[in-house]
Amino acid sequence: MALLHVENLRKSFGGLMAVKDLSFHVEPGEIVGLIGPNGAGKSTVFNLIMGILKPDRGQIFFKGQEITHWPTYKIVNAGIARVFQIAQYFPRKTVYENVEISAIPNEIFTRAPDPTPKTLQSCERTGLCEHSSHENHCICREELPGMLPQGGLRRLELARAIGTDPELLLLDEPFAGLSPAEVDEISHLIASLRNEGQTIVLVDHNMRGVMRLVDRIVVLCFGEKIAEGTPEEVARNPQVQEAYLAGGGF
Amino acid sequence: MSSRAVRFSILGTTVIVMAVVAPFLPSKWMTTLTYAQIFAVYAMGWDILSGMTGQISFGHIFFVAVAGYTTGLLNLYVKWPIWATIPLGVMMAVLAGLLFSVPALRLRGPYFSLITLILPLAAARLVIILADWTGGELGKFGVAALCPFPDFKANQYCNYYSLWGVMTGVGLFLVWLSTSRVGKILEAIRENEEAVEAAGINTAKYKIFAFAVSACVVGLGGAFSVHANEAIFFNSLMSLTTSLEMIVASVIGGMGIIVGALWGGFLVRGGEQVIRELAQLKLPIGTEGLALSFLERWATLIFFTLLIILLFFARQGLLPLLAGLFRRRRGEVRGG
Ligand SMILES: Nc1ncnc2c1ncn2[C@@H]1O[C@H](COP(=O)(O)OP(=O)(O)OP(=O)(O)O)[C@@H](O)[C@H]1O
Ligand SMILES: [Mg+2]
Repeated sequence: MALLHVENLRKSFGGLMAVKDLSFHVEPGEIVGLIGPNGAGKSTVFNLIMGILKPDRGQIFFKGQEITHWPTYKIVNAGIARVFQIAQYFPRKTVYENVEISAIPNEIFTRAPDPTPKTLQSCERTGLCEHSSHENHCICREELPGMLPQGGLRRLELARAIGTDPELLLLDEPFAGLSPAEVDEISHLIASLRNEGQTIVLVDHNMRGVMRLVDRIVVLCFGEKIAEGTPEEVARNPQVQEAYLAGGGF
Repeated sequence: MSSRAVRFSILGTTVIVMAVVAPFLPSKWMTTLTYAQIFAVYAMGWDILSGMTGQISFGHIFFVAVAGYTTGLLNLYVKWPIWATIPLGVMMAVLAGLLFSVPALRLRGPYFSLITLILPLAAARLVIILADWTGGELGKFGVAALCPFPDFKANQYCNYYSLWGVMTGVGLFLVWLSTSRVGKILEAIRENEEAVEAAGINTAKYKIFAFAVSACVVGLGGAFSVHANEAIFFNSLMSLTTSLEMIVASVIGGMGIIVGALWGGFLVRGGEQVIRELAQLKLPIGTEGLALSFLERWATLIFFTLLIILLFFARQGLLPLLAGLFRRRRGEVRGG
């Protein structure tokens, strides 16, 4: 059974059809690339999956259960986490406190265990530890997110997403705005998550950045799926080449 | 400022000082501080909702009124003792808070603030319409006293320390709550609500909970104030000025940290009294009657001007400002 199954999803903004009858699925353990030119509807698809936008029609299934009209927090607790295209963090909380929020359960009156170990684990998996010579366990960074470089902010976003224990991770343009060195860093981080068995949907403008990371690619253009397959298949597809030539970059 | 230990020590020091100084206070100041303690409870109650989540309520005096009228009228007409009517008053405030918060919290920013302002206005209307029963704008006397001592001095002490107990209890609970997991979530909601939802947290549930706690605390203060006054005072239970002063107190002391509201509460009520006394000092002999009320009015204006100037220089509030200065001093020592 597919982990995520999207069926005939449609969303329009006024006269603009941002997502048009889109269907695709994601198998457990798979890394799927969702690519398309500017304005193709990629972020809108993520917003629909996360319950931030309501679809005009169509259905979304996660682990066989329909989640189409669920509120965001419930979708997150079911096991989907998303990293936003534009960093969304708590500017006046430290890195540690930012990550901690994801480790706190959605229960006011609870005897749930201390969120500290989980927080430290998320920091460790995303390389947000303070380097300290005489201690070998992770201490999360105590600075404010504003002090971090772009690459560090992306790590923070990943740590906050991973902290909710997702079975499916949606990454919206994780390489945007990064220096070439930082792109390598974050690529390695995503590859290491993949090796841990994390299922991921990765959005990017073009294929070059995601080729080495993904198992399969879905290509969107003006809200429609125009191709799907392995990176090699998709790269050879004439319709895809045309779309990208028209859109101005591959 | 964020650490639990720091907040508890500020709270502890403050309440201990309040307990110790009482016997040395002139009578007038004792009365002022008795009511300042209730006001500090209001401000802390406002802070747990509005200071922490950033949903600014203009109308928290409404919960003072609901609890105050409930306990006062039940005591007066049904003759129930205050140990029964005070909890009932608080429960009514919580109930009103819950009923109101569910639709109101769908609104954001200025819309939420405006709608909260309508509550006390509507409540005041209702009290006037039912004047035969509530006493309307004149209020009602003859409510059971919090302290039943025949001696004035003993009564004054009893009132002071009873309200000190309420303030201390509320302070301990709110400092604990504000630094618990719930507090962390409320703070995060203020900074970025979408990111909190994305962390799997039902923010509406947390905001409604904060609303209920806030209404409970403010209601508790209101219920006690009625029995400390031995009367239902319309002008105090329905005072929009007090409603706004809760915001001022919390902002002056430092929003969202509870102890800021506590200090702000004393600063506002104590400051008002200082200015009032200064104004009286300068009175030329023979003109007291007329000049007094005139000067008192100016005193309030001067006081608010001072508050605005203070806010200008300490935008984040007094306590965070002091904490910042303290940290900088320590940093210098370490660096050098
Ligand atoms: N909330 C909204 N209201 C109106 N129009 C919107 C909204 N969100 C997106 N759109 C429009 O829908 C289309 C798809 O936008 P979307 O952000 O999904 O594209 P994208 O593929 O993520 O693009 P990019 O690569 O620039 O991030 C665009 O034309 C955009 O202007
Ligand atoms: Mg996008």
